[in-house]
Amino acid sequence: MRCGAARRRLSDEIDGALRPGRKAGVEAHLRVCPACRAYRGELVRIQAAAALPAVPAPDEFWDSFEDLVSRKIAAGEAGRASVAVPFASRRRSAWAAAAAAVLAGVALGYVLLRPGPPATEAWVPYGDPLDGLIFAAEADPELAGRVEKEIRVSIDELLPAPEETEGAVVFAADPFFWEGLSEDELQAIVAALETESGHGGPQ
Amino acid sequence: MDERPEERLVEEARRGGREAFAELVRRHERRVFGVALRMAGNRPDADDLAQEVFLTAWKAVGSFRGGSTFSTWLYRIAVNTSLTFLKRRGRERNRMPFDENLPVAGPGRGRPTGPEAASSLNELTARAGQAVAALPAHFRATFALVVDQGLSHAEAAGVLGCSENTVSWRMHKARKLLQARLKPFLEEVR
Repeated sequence: MRCGAARRRLSDEIDGALRPGRKAGVEAHLRVCPACRAYRGELVRIQAAAALPAVPAPDEFWDSFEDLVSRKIAAGEAGRASVAVPFASRRRSAWAAAAAAVLAGVALGYVLLRPGPPATEAWVPYGDPLDGLIFAAEADPELAGRVEKEIRVSIDELLPAPEETEGAVVFAADPFFWEGLSEDELQAIVAALETESGHGGPQ
Repeated sequence: MDERPEERLVEEARRGGREAFAELVRRHERRVFGVALRMAGNRPDADDLAQEVFLTAWKAVGSFRGGSTFSTWLYRIAVNTSLTFLKRRGRERNRMPFDENLPVAGPGRGRPTGPEAASSLNELTARAGQAVAALPAHFRATFALVVDQGLSHAEAAGVLGCSENTVSWRMHKARKLLQARLKPFLEEVR
């Protein structure tokens, strides 16, 4: 064994980490190599000289140390809590506000969107602006004429152009067409339709 | 004297038991302080460092899963905290680089005897402490674990997160550096 390899293994040997199979080789080298024996002696002396000075022995030191660590831990916990609580409180407030807003929204939606009462119960005379106009028109023939004219103009604006539609559709689309017919006229139309469709029975 | 087994104390500390953690501090403070003292090189810094180690351990104990022994875990925190501490303080930058050829104040001529020999021995001790303090930080950490704390190479490797061979090599290299640095004093005291 060369000195380099022996010295490399001497370090392990001092630490008690030398593999059993290598121990005999190192010991054999040391027996014949005074330089490596001296080297080993120096390492042992250095290790003894470099031993860590005893850590503080007085119990007072360790009592103080433990107390300091405990106080720092407690302070850290308290600091963490004092930081955490306001944020937690704020978060709780935010959640409460959000929940209240959602509840209010649901309640408002229910009030606004729930099925309304029957129209007869809710009907209030003159509730619609047109209602007043219609009632006034009943008492004023001139006004009634102007109102009807305006209504017909509005309906005409909504209807398709005549050339694009058939007459029957135009009639059916005019809500005032049927209301304008007498009972006899209606009966005559019904009879004509039944005859046309074959449901009218014997002539 | 608290007789509770360490595993139980660790489990209680994991659940936030400060009293259990205080007992763990009592059981490990000297070892942690030893590593801190070797790494920091002086008592006041070692004191701060050891406190920091335990505060870090307290914050992290909830994540300790028992993959290693508690002492191994604590040593790991001690070494890592020490390395960070040294970087932060700039100690390593200001540290005189280790040079085995660096001339050191040698002892006087002639073999000392009597009180002079004792004085030389004290000087060797002082110089040895300085030489270890001048080792590169990772070498010093390895030296602290193996020589000061008596850990096996395998245990030190577990703490340092390296292989046993790396521990073995660092110890060999550290010893060679120390031997070269202290040779004049060794010859004087012989």
